[in-house]
Amino acid sequence: MKLKTLFAGVTASLLMIFTAQADWAPSGPITLQIGFDAGGETDTLGRVIAGEMEKQTGWDIVVENKPGGGGIAMFTGLAVAKPDGQTLGMGVNMPILVNLVLRGDKLPFKLDSFDYLATVARAQVAIVAKSDAPFDDLAGLVEYSKANGGALVAFDAKPQELLMKYVDAEAGAGFKLISTKSSAEALQNLLGGHVVASFAAGAHIPYIESGDVKMIASANATRHGYAAETPTVVEQGYEIYVDPYFFIAAPAGLPSDAKAALAAALHKAITSNVAKKAIVNSLKTDPSDLGPDGTQKMLVDGVGNVKKLFGK
Amino acid sequence: MIDVSIILAGLGDAFSLTNLLFVVAGVAMGQFVGALPGTGPVMAMAVAIPFTFVLDPLAAIAFLVGVNKGGLFGGAIPAILINTPGTPDAAATALDGHPLARKGKPVKAMKMALFSSVTGDTFSDIVLITISAPLAVVALKMGPVETCALMIFAFSIIAGLIGDSLIKGLIAAVLGLFFAMVGLDPEHGTPRLYFGYFELFDGLPLTAVAIGMLAVAEIFRRLANIAGRIKPTISIPEKQEKKDKNVSWAEYWSCRYTMLRGAVIGTLLGAIPGIGSTAAAFMSYASTKQASKEPETFGKGNIQGVAATESANSAVMGANLIPLLALGIPGSIGAALLISAFKIHGIQPGPLLFEQQGRLIYGLFGAMMMANLMNLLIGQASLRLWTKIISAPESLVFSSALILCITGVYVSTGGIFGVAVMLVFAVMGYLMNLFGYSVVIFIIAFFLGDKFELSLSQTLVILDGDLLAVIHYPVALALLMLALVSTWWLGIHAPRKSRRQTRDSSLD
Repeated sequence: MKLKTLFAGVTASLLMIFTAQADWAPSGPITLQIGFDAGGETDTLGRVIAGEMEKQTGWDIVVENKPGGGGIAMFTGLAVAKPDGQTLGMGVNMPILVNLVLRGDKLPFKLDSFDYLATVARAQVAIVAKSDAPFDDLAGLVEYSKANGGALVAFDAKPQELLMKYVDAEAGAGFKLISTKSSAEALQNLLGGHVVASFAAGAHIPYIESGDVKMIASANATRHGYAAETPTVVEQGYEIYVDPYFFIAAPAGLPSDAKAALAAALHKAITSNVAKKAIVNSLKTDPSDLGPDGTQKMLVDGVGNVKKLFGK
Repeated sequence: MIDVSIILAGLGDAFSLTNLLFVVAGVAMGQFVGALPGTGPVMAMAVAIPFTFVLDPLAAIAFLVGVNKGGLFGGAIPAILINTPGTPDAAATALDGHPLARKGKPVKAMKMALFSSVTGDTFSDIVLITISAPLAVVALKMGPVETCALMIFAFSIIAGLIGDSLIKGLIAAVLGLFFAMVGLDPEHGTPRLYFGYFELFDGLPLTAVAIGMLAVAEIFRRLANIAGRIKPTISIPEKQEKKDKNVSWAEYWSCRYTMLRGAVIGTLLGAIPGIGSTAAAFMSYASTKQASKEPETFGKGNIQGVAATESANSAVMGANLIPLLALGIPGSIGAALLISAFKIHGIQPGPLLFEQQGRLIYGLFGAMMMANLMNLLIGQASLRLWTKIISAPESLVFSSALILCITGVYVSTGGIFGVAVMLVFAVMGYLMNLFGYSVVIFIIAFFLGDKFELSLSQTLVILDGDLLAVIHYPVALALLMLALVSTWWLGIHAPRKSRRQTRDSSLD
């Protein structure tokens, strides 16, 4: 009997702490819009996080896919949604930054059209080559390219192409860059011997384990956890990187209590075991939530970096 | 080499009651969503993936494979019954399936579709299970230059479908390529023809265009032709002879070469990532028509036409898993979704998959075989249900189909924009039909357009802009030669022959 009372007391006080912490609550279901098709990485992670958040907070969270233009279509709609904390959007920073830099005047939103809540994780982008390639680093790749009238390098996103062009301009390597639809296609071209180097974002890891592929550089700002001995492009002498982040934002003008409550709830969901497992499995990296201020800083800094990629 | 005990253990895992239930649920769901125009197995898989997170990996993958396989046959049902393909890859099935239904033999057509679908699927599954590793290595050798040549070859085969007027066929093909240009260009990422709509950055949504042109346009046509009196969508004679309802063994056996050809085409195209089941279905159809002694009966209800397309598009599914399992490279959207399902369950497809997860992979093979069998059984049972639906008045059937198209496209493209695109293309499809331009040619050109452009631009970079350098790529060269031959044979020789025949017969 006593034990029961104790339990009741503990539960009651815990409940009080939680309600005190989250004095904001949505008045209806929260919609989390995903800027990509169903079934992709962003979608999978978004749904897992939404599910965790629902379980932890008891709020109703509906996930909707709004694909188009790498998230531009979704953020266009999000910018004019009501800032009541009940409409959120999840996307990837790179396509947004590239479009802001290239055609910012034509976009119906700016960076300050949103309140930023969280980042989910950073994708790890690597430059890889087959293990029998006669080079082990960027300098070697540049030499190889010069000696063979231009090395074929496959990429699957604009920023990767620009990074390679930046290196090319500095080193005069004469790379021939092959555009592909996905990093799987880029890797396929590498394995088939149709290109000598390729960008890859995770699918290459089993090939490193099997010894078919070696890593030339990390294209991120820092090294990768699974290949700590491979230096970044920056470390190899070219002041350039790509850091694709998955992030979550809301329309600008969110009440501060709502922003705090949502950021706290998202942080808890992103760092939960279930979400962590999904992130590690699909991206081969740990969750990294930079929080509202960190997310905003990441995007503002990102504009500078992408401008540099475009040589602006 | 993989231990036999692992194979047996894997198969043992698969044949459990739980997995059987998931396969049955998947196949039933796949057939159902495949049959509803606008939605399809890809969408059903995409929505189902996050839910499989809580399942055991084998059960989850068995379920998704079931959805995919069920959907492949499901798409043929509305294509045959009301000429509105439920999925784009069933578009070719409608060419002969629907005329058969109008002759009062819808059940026969659907049974043939089911049998050939399961046959093609089983064929490619056997190829997958037995020789996927060497085949995947061969497929890797297909680089951008070879892929580009293969696309040109595919276009040339499809020239056999152009029909009476070469000019109208070419116009339809060019229009298809033109609309495929909308969106970011593959080389420099510059947005083209988007008129300020950011939804168009990724190009026109495929589902919306295909469903609009193929299904909604047909619904418009049928609704426009309704003349006051209430009649069933398809009238089936009440006392039908058994041979008009069933597919006899003799009939099935007479389609053996057709199905084998379809299965081989589907398996080959499936093993090479990026071409897809729609192109495979049309290639198989066109080459079957060409090989036939009576090509003029195609399009008027020749059962060989149904067998050709369904065996090919279903064979793509199993073969898509060849690059997926052996190399971790998805061959289609469906396969890409399977990869993401693998990944969220912590399984990394790639070179070490068989070593690290051999038991799971043989479990998957077991589940695939189970799904083929279930597809056959559930399909047999559900045919009767679908036939009941079309005995309803056509005004009812077509207006409900229209609502399904709208909701399906709304959900799969994520908003009303896709519905608008669908309606625009429905009107265009209606007008093209009216004036005798082939919608089918348009759709194939539209489907292959962006992949063709990408591989062409990759090829130009690799060849350094020097087209003659293609002589260093023997496989590509051979494919280009084949393309020339088949263009002459199908586009010039055969039409001339058929024109001569019509002239001769009119002289008689």
